[in-house]
Amino acid sequence: MMKKKKSNTIMGMAFFGPALVLLTIFLFIPMILTLVFSFTDYFALSPNLTHFVGFENYGKLFKDELFLQSFFNTVKFVLIILPCQGLGALGLALLINKVTHCKKYFKVAFFVPVVMSLAVVSTLWMQIYSPEGILNTILGNLGINAQPFIHSASQALPSIALMSVWQGVGYQMIIFLGGLQAINPALYEAAEMDHASSWQKFKDITLPELKPLCVFVFITVTIGAFRMIVQPMVMTGGGPSHSTYTMVYNIYETGTVNWEIGIASTMAIVFAIFVMILTVIQSILTRDKEDKHVNKKAKNG
Amino acid sequence: MKKIILKSLILLLVMGFLTGCQGKKVSPGDVEGYDEGETYLSLWVHTIEDTPEGEAYKKSVEGFNEAYDGVYFADIEFIPRNDSGGGYSDKVNASVMSGGLPDVLTVDGPNVSAYAANGIIQPLAEIPEEEKAVYLESIIEQGTYDGKLYALGVLESSVGMYYNKDILEEAGIEVPDADHPWTWSEFLEILEQLKPIMAEKNGYALDMTFPVGEASIYYYAPFIWSNGGDLVSDDGLTVDGYFNSDANAETMEYFKTIVDNGYMSATPIEFLFESGRAAFKFDGAWEVNTIYTSYPDINLGVAPYVVSDNWDGGRYTPTGSWAYAASANTEHLEGATELVKWMSGVESGVYIWNLTKNLPSTYGAFEQIEIFRTDENYNALYNQLSTYGHPRPKTPVYPQVSTSFQQALEDIALGGMETKSALDKSVERINAKLERYVRE
Repeated sequence: MMKKKKSNTIMGMAFFGPALVLLTIFLFIPMILTLVFSFTDYFALSPNLTHFVGFENYGKLFKDELFLQSFFNTVKFVLIILPCQGLGALGLALLINKVTHCKKYFKVAFFVPVVMSLAVVSTLWMQIYSPEGILNTILGNLGINAQPFIHSASQALPSIALMSVWQGVGYQMIIFLGGLQAINPALYEAAEMDHASSWQKFKDITLPELKPLCVFVFITVTIGAFRMIVQPMVMTGGGPSHSTYTMVYNIYETGTVNWEIGIASTMAIVFAIFVMILTVIQSILTRDKEDKHVNKKAKNG
Repeated sequence: MKKIILKSLILLLVMGFLTGCQGKKVSPGDVEGYDEGETYLSLWVHTIEDTPEGEAYKKSVEGFNEAYDGVYFADIEFIPRNDSGGGYSDKVNASVMSGGLPDVLTVDGPNVSAYAANGIIQPLAEIPEEEKAVYLESIIEQGTYDGKLYALGVLESSVGMYYNKDILEEAGIEVPDADHPWTWSEFLEILEQLKPIMAEKNGYALDMTFPVGEASIYYYAPFIWSNGGDLVSDDGLTVDGYFNSDANAETMEYFKTIVDNGYMSATPIEFLFESGRAAFKFDGAWEVNTIYTSYPDINLGVAPYVVSDNWDGGRYTPTGSWAYAASANTEHLEGATELVKWMSGVESGVYIWNLTKNLPSTYGAFEQIEIFRTDENYNALYNQLSTYGHPRPKTPVYPQVSTSFQQALEDIALGGMETKSALDKSVERINAKLERYVRE
């Protein structure tokens, strides 16, 4: 008995070991180093002159206008993307679920942008948004003046956010679609016998059944939106006037272009803590609901 | 106990990985062509082997190894670099820490100061005056930091103020010769004259933008210089009083005037000049080749870069590109210097031109390439470069100066921000980065 347990442990370690080593090298060590560097003035070009500076970097950061701007830009991105992408995905899933013909076609059509590389999608949308691009031509035919889109400080951020929604929405749509198809048709049949309206069916059957998926989509979309960098990098370079400069972009530039690894690490730590806090809040808020949901199910059963 | 073994195993593995990345020792015979008795020189370049540029470098190295057979052996390593500058520079940064820098590496012109100030590259061995005289003055100046020569470029670059000959002829405008460029006020009059003509063509007098990235400072810093201004002090360590000087404020206002009067589009329109809807365009020397090969309908001319009304005849036009330098780690400075000289020399410059259509860096190379004498546009660019070329600001905080310049330009000319406060804000930002160099 004892022996078997021991060999199990060894087996387990053998399976787990390689992953642990790789994770250690590529995840844990960099994470710890980032934390350490965030308390230093590490400069990539002269690593020998590195000093510990305590919390100086953190103090500097919260006085840095550009950092605060990039922070709020990122929050704005999340605030636009989260509802649009979440509701958009749900809407599309419901529509496709109803469609009787060419279901596959629509699924593929909405999913294709997800498969495309972000850089490609961004370049494509630069053409669409360009002053004489397709979107402005359509607007012109409708009698609306040409819009600057990504070339104006006020429109660039929403323009990029909407493009990102278009790019990402297909993924969550597929998840919702799977959820919809997993709902027991008997529930709808029962509701129909009770003469429930479509809205009632949606509100009392579809939504509650999809709730666990909603939580998943909510969290993944939030984290994805926080990590925004490729789109502004390709389309606007963070401009105009830093209106699309995101946190991750700022971290990247500070670290690689300006060689300030110390400050960049501090930014990364602050960013990580912020996202962690958000995730904890989200999971607390959603766990309760899930529990209730499960309880209800148990009672019903 | 098991835990400890496991932990130490992991630690060992990690150590193995980390040390495995450090500089390797190469012995004769390990690399093809490296023979007994030769000094081994490692060389890093910022491009992949399959590009025309990489091919040119490879040919240069082969030439070096042939010429110095039995003395030196140069081993070239191609390191990819992405558009935003990552890749290659990440590798250099990592090697600065781990000590794996090669003997010779390429450095982008504006970064020479930062690399020199931080002791990543070292001054080259003494080069005789007559050998130095081969290089364009702008190349020598770009590679000099604190009075010492650190780097020699194989590539040079310039920006042309291109014009559409047909449009200017239609408007009856004569282009001045290279030594008597239009002044700002003359140029404004010309733009005013062109405005209605271009409006008819659904275009603008100027095809001009203030893009994020290196282009803005590269194209428009000449306006600063010709107005007697500067972006940084001579030692590169002071910006207050330079970046935000009254002369520079005047220059920024000039750009604002151009935007406000509608001489250029506030939002960038692609291919404005190439489609015949703009009379002028500022762009790199590569534009000539683009127009010749892809837009043969455009009747292209190169006008001398516009100067301020206060221009004193000094150097002011854009220059600069990648250069070779000897790393601080090299134990063979003499050999490294020979390699730098060879890689940036006349023959290498001719390869670069033939394969990539980038401008070479030596008088000799320009003489060997016929098109710089036969084609008036290339000839104009060469003359502008050799007579009026001015290096970009030399300061260890160049990246910050470059982004701040673009930012200020955009904020003032397009964003309507108050000039003085925009410039002061830039100074504040640059000063924050300068702190590290000033306190030591």
